[in-house]
Amino acid sequence: MGKKKSVALIVIVTIVLVALLFISVTPSFYVSTAEKFNSLLSIVDLGSDLGGGYYTVYYPEGVISQSEYEALEAEYNEAVEQAKQEVGEGYTEEDVGVDNPAETYLAYKGIYLSEDICDKDESGNPTGEDFAVFQSEFDKAFRAISSRFESKGFIGYSIKLQDDYTIRVEIPYSDEQANELFDRFAYSGTLLFTDDNATSPNEMKGDSAHVKGAEAVETNDGGYAVAINLTKQGRKEFKAITQAISSAASESGSSSGGTLYIKVGDEVLTQATVSSALDQDVVYISGAYSTRDAAQTIACVINSTLNEDMIFDLQLDASQIFTLAPTMGEYAALIIAIAFAVLIVAMFIYSIVRFKGMGLAHIYGFMTYALIFVLCISLIPMMCVDISGVIAIALSAAIMVFFNYYAFRNIREEFATGKTLTASIKAGYKKSLAFTIDAHIILVLAALVMFLISTATVRYMALIFLIGTVISAACTLAITRFYLYMFLAQPKNKIAFCNLRREETEDE
Amino acid sequence: MNKFMTKKSLLISLIVSLALIIAGAFIAGFLGFNPDSTTKDYAVIEVSDSGYMSLEEDFRNQLQDFCQKKIEAKYAVADTKYSESTSAGGSIEYVLTSGTPNNEFLLSLRTSIDESGIEGIETAGVSVSLHFVENHAFTEYIWRTAIGMGVALVLLFVYVAIRFKVGMGVSALIAAIHDVLLTLAVIALLRIPAGIALIGVAAFSLLLSIVLNLIVFGRMRADFRADEKNAIPAKEAVSGSVSASLKNVLTVSIALAAAIVLFGVIGAIIGMDLLTIMLCALMSVVVSTYSSLILTPAIYARMKEKSDANKAEKAKYNYSSDKKLEKEEKSSAKKVAEEV
Repeated sequence: MGKKKSVALIVIVTIVLVALLFISVTPSFYVSTAEKFNSLLSIVDLGSDLGGGYYTVYYPEGVISQSEYEALEAEYNEAVEQAKQEVGEGYTEEDVGVDNPAETYLAYKGIYLSEDICDKDESGNPTGEDFAVFQSEFDKAFRAISSRFESKGFIGYSIKLQDDYTIRVEIPYSDEQANELFDRFAYSGTLLFTDDNATSPNEMKGDSAHVKGAEAVETNDGGYAVAINLTKQGRKEFKAITQAISSAASESGSSSGGTLYIKVGDEVLTQATVSSALDQDVVYISGAYSTRDAAQTIACVINSTLNEDMIFDLQLDASQIFTLAPTMGEYAALIIAIAFAVLIVAMFIYSIVRFKGMGLAHIYGFMTYALIFVLCISLIPMMCVDISGVIAIALSAAIMVFFNYYAFRNIREEFATGKTLTASIKAGYKKSLAFTIDAHIILVLAALVMFLISTATVRYMALIFLIGTVISAACTLAITRFYLYMFLAQPKNKIAFCNLRREETEDE
Repeated sequence: MNKFMTKKSLLISLIVSLALIIAGAFIAGFLGFNPDSTTKDYAVIEVSDSGYMSLEEDFRNQLQDFCQKKIEAKYAVADTKYSESTSAGGSIEYVLTSGTPNNEFLLSLRTSIDESGIEGIETAGVSVSLHFVENHAFTEYIWRTAIGMGVALVLLFVYVAIRFKVGMGVSALIAAIHDVLLTLAVIALLRIPAGIALIGVAAFSLLLSIVLNLIVFGRMRADFRADEKNAIPAKEAVSGSVSASLKNVLTVSIALAAAIVLFGVIGAIIGMDLLTIMLCALMSVVVSTYSSLILTPAIYARMKEKSDANKAEKAKYNYSSDKKLEKEEKSSAKKVAEEV
């Protein structure tokens, strides 16, 4: 490479890297009053341990919170006062007109159970046949809610039983509306495909005899859809109801077709317009989902209703949704990013001291690796970083650094045997090529398998590691080597620039 | 030669590892892992209102401090979290480490809040409640990760067996299983608090084991191609390669350990969960470094020794068949002579 070409390349690469570094790490600022610049790192999706999220507590019907109880108590006391004023001290319950919550509710741990769902035994504990039914339905509801959130594959979510009869769910921030998600995941009852016609409804049961399962898929126009896999019987019945719906629509003069509702219990989960009979194994419902998450939520609910053990008959209320602070600490993500920066600077200093010119090529190579990695983590929609992801990033970076050092050591060894600098670089890289490729391939395979099979934290961790390993391979085998040649065109004493020495031989 | 290459050392290493894994499995089976704050069952005192504390930060801070003092006077508080409702209302949760407050305490807390004189307390509509939160295991996540790791192990064995040697594939497989199990066992035995991120640590342990063992096997593969290395005994050859790759293994291990220790120190300052998960990750680095430098080479040296012996046996000149051939030639010559 000529000196002029080398200078031009160094300038271009440096400008690109500095620009990328700027858009990656610069703190957010306002460009104008309306527009804000957000760095790539600031838009990285974080798990609830590093970035916080939302939580809610599902209250089943017949169970109320302390604050609701206190509100009922206040209402009752007010009614009593009013009755006293109107009737005098001899007022009756009828005069009050409001139930006394102390008589209609039973305090249980941090919640209150209505007399509609339980009786009180001698020691003041809930009991009775109704309570047994409630417990059984609540167990099913808990299983269904757990299954729905688990199959959603959130990173760093949790489902906990609170006071035995309420469900506390914590999820990380996502593009989806938290209230819609919490509401949909609380739908109770069986799955039903219907036109909702009050007089003569066309319906198909949504059970395992009719539906195999559902999943979120990407459509050709870049949107998302819910793909519902039907069984043979399901296909037959689905054809019949879509035939009936489209015929009814055309008879009523509608040109766009009729509406098919997919309901869980009494709630409409989703709906689709049907203009002709559909005779297919997989039915796609699209148009309403701008993100994969939204389509996946519907698929998760459908899948859980196919398991009879998870069909519950209990209304769950998640009216209060709270924001959740990061569980690892308020500024954990920021401090971890600073710690990474400190480690990287330390590694840069060591590289320069140990390998000089080769170290400089390594610094450029590592910067390229790190910036491409940041681009991928922030811009690929599926990426989400939690503490396991941080460990995966550290491991991937350590591998990248190691393989560059490994190549440099091989170059040193080759040079020590008496080869020229160019021959040493060629031989050094050739010597490390097979092992570098082997190690990266096996790591990519391991990460790929874990990404495809696992869920939640490990799935995201494997994805981060997979991308990091691929970038590491490219940067080690090609980019750092290219940078080394780029820098080598500049110095007069190339051997000293690379900090290389011959093996010392004894003179006779 | 490396003193860890002897049969006795290998046996001791395996017995110690096995004993630790069994003890860890026993502890984890009966007591479970020591849960961190994300997976621990806990009691929490919740002080909530209808929305005033989300509007008035001063009010919220005063209320939070007031309640904290009252609760800490009687119970140990592990964590205090403030959450805001997306509609209206705020909630301060005091997570208790020990003790269960009774109704009298809650009532007295409520009364003292009403009488605290904090500006705005009358309009806030503060409510105090005690909740018991029970953790729920992530069954699907655990078994799917276990299957994923199992398939990754099979792939590791196949790839290393094809690209390196079958013996190295077997050793890498044993090492990976050993490292993951031993890491989990040590975490269970030392009762290091761990939550759901522990499964991530197990996956990290597998990946790290692959990296470190491949560094050693990569060196062995390169060394064993040279004729002079083939001439020396298996243990010596393996030992030589391990010594040569020591620097490489330590480079990766020390770099990772430095990052983990730094994150751990940060965790000690900002949140204990970060510290404990980094302790778990550090265990993984220690175990994988030990196995890649000591256990795996010792296992592979035994395999190579046997494989070399078999090769030598096959390569031996067959004197018995020579004698037989000579005998037959003699007898046929005799027959020919007789006939003549």
